[in-house]
Amino acid sequence: MLSEIDKKTIEYLAELSRIKLGADEENKILKDLKKILVYFEELKSLDTSGIETMNGGTEAKNEFRNDDDRTDTDKGNGVEAFPEKENGFLKVPPVFE
Amino acid sequence: MTPLKNLTIKKFNEGLVKKDFSAAEIADAFLREISRKDGEIGAYLSINEEGALREAEAVDASLAKGEKIGPFAGVPIAIKDNILIKGLRATAASKILENYTASYDAGIIKKLKNERAVFLGKTNMDEFAMGSSTENSAFKMTKNPHDNERVPGGSSGGSAAAVAADLAVAALGSDTGGSIREPAAFCGVVGLKPTYGAVSRSGLIAMASSLDQIGPITKTVQDSALLFNAIRGQDALDATSTEIPGSENYIRELLDPDLKKIKDLVIGIPGEYFPEELDETTKKSIDVTIKTVQSLGVKFKKISLPNTRYALSCYYIIMPAEVSSNLARFDGIRYGRKTEGVQPATNLKDIYFKTRGEGFGNEAKRRIILGTFVLSSGYYDSYYKKAQQVRRLIKNDFENALKEVDAIMTPVTPGPAFKIGEKTEDPLTMYLSDIFTIPANLAGLPAVSIPVREKKEGLPIGFQLIGKAWREPDILGLGFYYEKTTAPELYEN
Repeated sequence: MLSEIDKKTIEYLAELSRIKLGADEENKILKDLKKILVYFEELKSLDTSGIETMNGGTEAKNEFRNDDDRTDTDKGNGVEAFPEKENGFLKVPPVFE
Repeated sequence: MTPLKNLTIKKFNEGLVKKDFSAAEIADAFLREISRKDGEIGAYLSINEEGALREAEAVDASLAKGEKIGPFAGVPIAIKDNILIKGLRATAASKILENYTASYDAGIIKKLKNERAVFLGKTNMDEFAMGSSTENSAFKMTKNPHDNERVPGGSSGGSAAAVAADLAVAALGSDTGGSIREPAAFCGVVGLKPTYGAVSRSGLIAMASSLDQIGPITKTVQDSALLFNAIRGQDALDATSTEIPGSENYIRELLDPDLKKIKDLVIGIPGEYFPEELDETTKKSIDVTIKTVQSLGVKFKKISLPNTRYALSCYYIIMPAEVSSNLARFDGIRYGRKTEGVQPATNLKDIYFKTRGEGFGNEAKRRIILGTFVLSSGYYDSYYKKAQQVRRLIKNDFENALKEVDAIMTPVTPGPAFKIGEKTEDPLTMYLSDIFTIPANLAGLPAVSIPVREKKEGLPIGFQLIGKAWREPDILGLGFYYEKTTAPELYEN
């Protein structure tokens, strides 16, 4: 399985991650990832068949707040960080080409 | 003038009430100390001079009017830069957030504002809390106050260094795989990672949500108990946060531990945490600590946590998976833009690729790519699902062991603080720094790092106490009596 990791894999992952990588960066990440995946091989020797997954940091139930109207969402403050805005709306380039 | 050295939360409050000093005097003294010393240490990324002095003066005004104040009024605290304080910059030490100003207060900041704490500034860290040495900060290097050629640990390195160098009375950090405990051990201060869910994560810039917890970094165990008690509790904005079952007793045990109960504790020593290659000084130091704790009347028992060796692999699959998801929100738009010249971009995708390519540092990129890989089609079962099963086995190990013992004692790190640059080339070597701290995060258990107080010279070494879920009073109570025995000066006036 490890042989499947190559430059193409990294390019594909970078595309999925929306990160532009330089050629040197790609090579370094490929080298590091190969090493890390070799380390992960040790997990194969551990039999986990039938073991239930642990899907979070706690087994406790979430404590959700009531689905009430809230007025404490400070829209004005959030908008300030936007690089471009118009009438309180976020302005971005076209999404569809 | 009261010296800032050894000024604890407790002593500050006593001195303030007795009018030995004013809150503004102490805040001002810390700010001057920071401007004098922090050029060398590099603990802070930004200073909140105006806000700190304003709050301190307000506390003094209340006192002058004869109003009653709480234990945190006027206490000068440093806050890790991934925790939001409204109106102040919050960069998480990343270029991608260089221009981001927090638009709301973190849940714990609201609590501390109600307590009228004074925020001195925001501390340096590894970018997005990813690292064990603070060398991954995009902005500056933090040095270990005990040896400026060495790292302070990480990722809460700035917070630990600030407390160790007397540039704050106490600090807050965050701990995903050891990021509070490891720097606390390297800098010779106390650091607590609470039980998962004890402290609200609202307003903490998320790294790996199922592992992250905010916690105190302080000069004494008692201060950690105080600060933890001030920030813990349910918060409607974090659905995993909860009130501690049986709170009333819990608070009393936390703040006023009973020596008789502490003496009855049984502590487990897991063989897996004391491998052959463990640093000799670390091993010897912990042996000395065990003897001291035995002299208090506490019993020790050998235990086994058989799946410990798989914890690092398990963590380095689950954590990057969550990282790749959590860091997707940094798109160059919603949290301000760092990259110049991207605009006018022809399409939205260009902005994403360029901002993220230029804004994230090497470790963040490595983890996002790795996380994307373990979650991607065809690899999910063999990596991510497998790791979640291993996480269950590690948790079961602790559950079984903690039926026989009340808490577990281990080293915090494989050795003392390493040299700056020593581990930056090979990520795996750096990852191994967290090998003893990661399991408590995977299992969601509370764990505290306490300096080996018997060791008076050389680099600090810490020992770790891991407790049962929601049993912070056991590990902090034991730590408190250990400190009273080995370093009574910390508690003397």
